[in-house]
Amino acid sequence: MSQQNPLTLVTPIKPEKLAALYKVLSNMKYRLEKGEHELFEKNNNIHYLRWLVIDDKNTVFFNETKRNPKLVFSSNFDGKVLAHITDLSSDMDHQLIDEIYSCCIGYPEPKDCTPKTRAVFFKKHMIKVSAFYKGSPGRSLKQIREEQDLRMYLRKKLDTENWKGLTAQQIHQQLKKETRANAAFSILNTKYSMPKTNWFKFALLVIVLLALLPLIIVWILIVEFAYERKDQHYTKTRSDLNADKIKILEEYEDLTSGEDLSKEEQSVAGVLVKDKVINYQNQFSQLVEMKEGTVRLITFKAMMLFAKTLIPIKFVKGELMGIPTIHFARWVLFDDNKRVLFFSNFDGSWQQYLGDFIDQSGWGLTGIFSNTKVFPKTRFLLTGGAYDEEHFLAWSRDSELPTQIWYSAYPSLSIKNVNNNSQIRVLFSKNLNNKKAKKLFELI
Amino acid sequence: MQTIELKDVQGYIFRAYGNMKYSRFTLLKVNNPKAAKKWINSICNQITNASIVAKDELPDTCLNIAFAPNGLSALGLSQENINTFSPPFKEGMTTVHRTSLLGDIDSSSPENWLWGGLKNEPVQLVLLVFGKDEATCLAYYNSLKDEFESHGLEEYRNLDGLTLKDNKEHFGFRDGIAQPIIKGSGRIGPEHNSVNPGEFVLGYKNNYKVYPDSPTIEKPQGNMNLLPPSPLKTGKKDLGKNGSYFIIRQMQQDVEGFWNFMNDRTRNADGSINEAESTKLASKMVGRWPSGAPLSKFPDKDPGGTSDENDFLYAKDDPKGLKCPFGSHLRRMNPRDSFETDTPKKSLLLSNRHRLIRRARLYGDQIIGTPTNNKPKGDVGLYFNCFSADISRQFEFLQYTWSNYPKIKQLYSDPDPIIGVVENPKKGQEQQFTQQGDPINKTEKNLKRFITIKGGAYFFFPSITSIRYICSL
Repeated sequence: MSQQNPLTLVTPIKPEKLAALYKVLSNMKYRLEKGEHELFEKNNNIHYLRWLVIDDKNTVFFNETKRNPKLVFSSNFDGKVLAHITDLSSDMDHQLIDEIYSCCIGYPEPKDCTPKTRAVFFKKHMIKVSAFYKGSPGRSLKQIREEQDLRMYLRKKLDTENWKGLTAQQIHQQLKKETRANAAFSILNTKYSMPKTNWFKFALLVIVLLALLPLIIVWILIVEFAYERKDQHYTKTRSDLNADKIKILEEYEDLTSGEDLSKEEQSVAGVLVKDKVINYQNQFSQLVEMKEGTVRLITFKAMMLFAKTLIPIKFVKGELMGIPTIHFARWVLFDDNKRVLFFSNFDGSWQQYLGDFIDQSGWGLTGIFSNTKVFPKTRFLLTGGAYDEEHFLAWSRDSELPTQIWYSAYPSLSIKNVNNNSQIRVLFSKNLNNKKAKKLFELI
Repeated sequence: MQTIELKDVQGYIFRAYGNMKYSRFTLLKVNNPKAAKKWINSICNQITNASIVAKDELPDTCLNIAFAPNGLSALGLSQENINTFSPPFKEGMTTVHRTSLLGDIDSSSPENWLWGGLKNEPVQLVLLVFGKDEATCLAYYNSLKDEFESHGLEEYRNLDGLTLKDNKEHFGFRDGIAQPIIKGSGRIGPEHNSVNPGEFVLGYKNNYKVYPDSPTIEKPQGNMNLLPPSPLKTGKKDLGKNGSYFIIRQMQQDVEGFWNFMNDRTRNADGSINEAESTKLASKMVGRWPSGAPLSKFPDKDPGGTSDENDFLYAKDDPKGLKCPFGSHLRRMNPRDSFETDTPKKSLLLSNRHRLIRRARLYGDQIIGTPTNNKPKGDVGLYFNCFSADISRQFEFLQYTWSNYPKIKQLYSDPDPIIGVVENPKKGQEQQFTQQGDPINKTEKNLKRFITIKGGAYFFFPSITSIRYICSL
């Protein structure tokens, strides 16, 4: 089974190279929009990646910052982190990686740029995730693609051939015969089973939490009365938000692109036919500051530990606390525990995604983000906050950042599709009675 | 329960004006703000409010008014105050982002609109004039016109709407059956179909039990004493209270294309039209039969007559979409108790956070389409008018997430077959309609787009008090 992993890099940018970096990223975005995905396809193991610039005081997002600009990289890939760094340092488009990171402080000079020196640089700037969620645990990019091919093949067969009078079981058997003879579906020869909730560990976790309950209650009361009630809270609504900020974020959501390229660059790079249909997938990048003090830091870390423990035990079937639209998500505590980055790759629109958060997992978000500055007012750590719909939506938008480069290896598949495809594959390769065969065909 | 100040709410939010067979929505341009405000103030006592009227006391005419950002500005509301409105309203329907979200591309692009588009004059005000018949409506309109023209307001475009027999729209289906009931409006309905007032009326709590984002007065101007305090922003006056957002979309319908598609997909072996099967396919796509009867109760055949049946759910009667397909227009637009994989109770909670009050009016030839009667004279369509307190969470969410986005339930490439199909899909982009079946699902491939957006705008639909306030600027 494949292991999906995250990598996060935060690298300081040479101030004098900031403009050049934007240009490199902008050109890359343009190439991606034109469909030049081979940039990231080489190793056939990258699910998602993104680059974004933070702390640039010349943008509306950071105009009050005293920090120096940094480049953030985030990827989701198959295999070990070190192997992925090796890929980035050697096998991937050198020119691109060098072009980007030569704008960053400490990157090896051109004459010293080797796979080894690059890897040293990346390792130095690597930051560990605090918690990580994957919507299709255990599935490699290759498997996701092969399972989609299988589903497409089966759907086509069902659409184009006459199955009248046959039972589900008979149809299944006939299809199975045909795929067995087809080398393209060799994955059917490998056994795969869907990840399952680990009820034993879950029960253990519940017992541990129950044992800790008195402590947790006391802790929550301390947080509530000694901190939360004295903190500053978020009170803006969406109409209060800076219109320029929203415009920039919305443009990035459109995936239409080229929008941030100047006319001159467009004519150099050729005419881009704009595809105004919004993409089926989207990304969310968020940056918030931790509230000061050890109590908040401990609370945050405890929530992260809880998430980190619970996710691989319980949320392994494509839903994170009931949200069925997230491919990958991560929380990263960085900058000397002063700030938190949250990244996710999700299906559908911003409104749907943020709405899902409120509808499905408001308490989880509230428990985490109430420890960050100017979050909507929470009550006893787990209520209020994200349930305060209008303020939460405004806060989310306000703390969101534009993502300069975003790449998805399967932009037309929702996470539900990915998991449905795996389920089709599992069921299809079994011997099914008529009832089970009917279940299979409900999925196709 | 929150008590709604019905006398201050303009009536069209709560009342469909069912007896008003004819309407004229006239787009007005402000030439003389001072005179215009004087006139608008003078009609405030004619504006129809939302208080309940006994059936035998229904008036012969109704009157309402709504404002686009440009109109508010023309009448003197300062930019600081306009900025307090919700982002979709401020930005308008025609930004690149909204165009892609709403699917207004190809022929539906705002570049080609008749009004409200990128090449049209900016929309300012819309006066909504209704009459029990055409003559009554137009007589009333003309009397108003004499007045507003002498008060610095100019008619820019008329959107005339009507209702057809049995409330059918041009494709031939009974429309407007499922409307949410607003708690506190005086109307009562099943709990699963009832929503909190703040879903539609600003200044009241919504289904999240919080106050919706409502415009306020940031920089004092006009007669501030008229306005109530904002419940959300301390120390500010609430301009939105008892108001709503009103959305107009002119949707042209290709009745011939619609029925040709259904006929072609269901022809008899000898090539002749199979009326029953054609109607059935169309009904599966719509989600109700032409009579309005719901598919989950009548899966095989239209019981005929006219149906107002709305007290039905999906989870128990049709959990697998075998009767009313998951991808059908109506099941998408209101999934009731069968939302994604959620429990029925949770589904209802979630579905009711995305409702609309629809007020469609038809235009053009009075054709009611069937497999064999589908050639209208000239352009026909409907003005899809609706109300929502949160344009983004309600109207835009329905148009994008539940209609244009092809991946609801376990579907892969199924846009809403009535309003979500892309006219010129990308190479390799599949657009299909899946009918869940036993033992195998059936798909209709290569869907066609049967509607074209010809105009549209977002309006603020203020309370009568706020109209008076605007006139005090």
